Amino acid sequence: MTARTAFAVIAFAAALIAPFVVHSDFWMGFLITTLLYAYMGMAWNVLGGYAGQVSFGHAIFFGTGAYTSTILHISFGLNPWLGMVAAAVAAGLVGALIGYLSFRYGLRGSYFALITLAFAEVFRILANSFEFTGGGVGLYVPLKIGWWNLQFPSKTGFYYLALALTCLSLAIGAWLENSRFGASLMAIRENESAAEALGVNAFACKLKAIILSGAMMGVGGTFYAQHYLYIDPTIAYGPGVSVEVLLVPIIGGLGTMLGPLLGSAVLHGAGELARRLMGDVPGLDLVFYGVLLIVMVRFLPEGVIGLLRRRHKPGAAHA
Amino acid sequence: MMRRTKTNVTRRQLLAGAAAGAAIGTLGFPAVLRAQVPSVKVGILHPVTGAISYSGTQSRAGALIAIEEINAAGGIKALGGAKIEPLLADAQSRPDVGAAEIEKLNEAGAVAVIGPYASAIAIATTAAAAKHNLPHLVDVGVADQVVTRGLTNTFRFAPGLAKTVETAINNLVKLNEAAGKPVKTVMIIHEESAFGSGMASTLNAELPKHGFEIVETIKHANPTRDFSNIVLRVQARKPDLIIPSNYYNEYVLFARALRQQRVQTKGIYSILGGGASSYKFVKEFPDAAAYVMDCNHWFDPRKAQALALKDKVEKQGLFFTYEVFLNYCNVYLLADALERAASTKREDIIAALASSTWDKHIMPYGPTKFVNGQNEGAQPVNTQVLDNDIKVIFPLEFASANAVFPVPERKG
Repeated sequence: MTARTAFAVIAFAAALIAPFVVHSDFWMGFLITTLLYAYMGMAWNVLGGYAGQVSFGHAIFFGTGAYTSTILHISFGLNPWLGMVAAAVAAGLVGALIGYLSFRYGLRGSYFALITLAFAEVFRILANSFEFTGGGVGLYVPLKIGWWNLQFPSKTGFYYLALALTCLSLAIGAWLENSRFGASLMAIRENESAAEALGVNAFACKLKAIILSGAMMGVGGTFYAQHYLYIDPTIAYGPGVSVEVLLVPIIGGLGTMLGPLLGSAVLHGAGELARRLMGDVPGLDLVFYGVLLIVMVRFLPEGVIGLLRRRHKPGAAHA
Repeated sequence: MMRRTKTNVTRRQLLAGAAAGAAIGTLGFPAVLRAQVPSVKVGILHPVTGAISYSGTQSRAGALIAIEEINAAGGIKALGGAKIEPLLADAQSRPDVGAAEIEKLNEAGAVAVIGPYASAIAIATTAAAAKHNLPHLVDVGVADQVVTRGLTNTFRFAPGLAKTVETAINNLVKLNEAAGKPVKTVMIIHEESAFGSGMASTLNAELPKHGFEIVETIKHANPTRDFSNIVLRVQARKPDLIIPSNYYNEYVLFARALRQQRVQTKGIYSILGGGASSYKFVKEFPDAAAYVMDCNHWFDPRKAQALALKDKVEKQGLFFTYEVFLNYCNVYLLADALERAASTKREDIIAALASSTWDKHIMPYGPTKFVNGQNEGAQPVNTQVLDNDIKVIFPLEFASANAVFPVPERKG
């Protein structure tokens, strides 16, 4: 067993026993949020990090997932667990639509980023206008506590679900780093024209990446809706989620397997640290948090993972 | 050779002793002090940052004034004069942050929580508090779903949306009939979120039943800074009555645009109007605010305690908004429950709130009577901006002025 495998096993075991050690619901909530955003950060990372197709509007998939499972649950009585599958399918289809339209016409870089932002905004306005989405009023998920309703009586249930999703996202990251498909995405990221010249079907690869990324985000949307029991167009399609899932891999390390997990831990840890340090003065914690982010992006351009790699390079200590 | 006697203290023992002493100093003595001056921790949870931070800040101010008054008057007497210790929390205008703050307040030992202003946040915070059986007094949060989910820990002192809209429509019908039915057509201008959209959909369903024709309903985004196109639509439609339903900034900008373009109607009638019952609006834009009517949370102008609070709030440089006095009342409501419960156990406080018949508030309500967490004694009132002041015009038993309706034609 290598040191890396041993560390992974210990970390996984620690994560499994965490609910038995952490008795604070607040810290359990903190862990759940951290894991959920690590998972959604990896969803963004599949497209933005590995494939290099930076999206500013990933909330479109999150919102589609949240609305799909919630509408199916409220209007048709579909069990939220099945709704989660439907959310993945619906968000994946939205990804296919956006991907087809964007990649078919060669949108890249900032143009692609802007088109995703525009799509998210269009969906927000549509969700505001239709009756079946509850319009601006939003949708309230009926309170029916029970694991079969995806509403756990304690935080432990949500924690294990978030942990399972995070493990799934890490497995996806590992697969991308060791598969031909992942190599193709990375080749596209580095130089799309060169990748195509070597026989990579860039259009198909990018389309698959956005479908996978969208489906993952859709599951995250259902998780959010079932956890907080309310969604409205701003929560679902607003810029908040888009920015947060983008920040997580940027802080942790773009296009890396552990980047989103590290980024989420640092991002949420810094947020909580700021709240505790700054006391009751309204907004001061957000100022501190903002400054911290600026400093991190300025001095850690490769993210936290870049820092760890530098520290473990042979001779780094003497550098 | 060094001889060590039993009385000698090694460096390690000295350090351990010092550490223990420090621990007692930092932890033990405050515990003793706490025992001497007992306190009751109450979570004051509002969105003091983010999109609705103005309302959150006003809410917090109202709660803190009440806590200061109660503590100055000797605290909770049934608990040996225990002082109320506010645990301030910020929901950052987000439901998920609000729910996380509930966990923090629960672990910090809060016996109850007051807040969190917005319905969307209240949905998340009340459910989170219910898991700990933590009493949660909802200060505003008008959405009916806040109190219709069977949560036994949730209590709302103020009226909900359904009751407010029903009262507003009934009062509009009375007002119109008393004036000889001058209003036949109505135009609704509302913001796009839960509050404005919910209101617009209810009005579209209910007003036609009372003989009003809705000529158009216009939705606008938040924020909207230019209302000139919407006002052009109003001019083209020529409604008898305009019903705006939006937050403060948009309300004020819309009312100003109506005045600038000299739109003549028989009245502006708001329901939970963001600016219509605001002294800030009346003070800063008296011309646009003149004759505007509203059906909203409002204090009883006949009560001396209400007027004294208004003075106190204004002396602090704040406007006396509904967020201030509703939170003020909620703290007193909780204090009354604590006095009657004579306990800080959550189940005792919930029982005391559920059986509350508190009537020493500053609102135009009867004694509190909670049915499924909603205070059935609560009611909104109609106000109108008259002579650069906000007057109560309905119900008549609380009225401080007669309604001016239809509003006189205004020149210039």
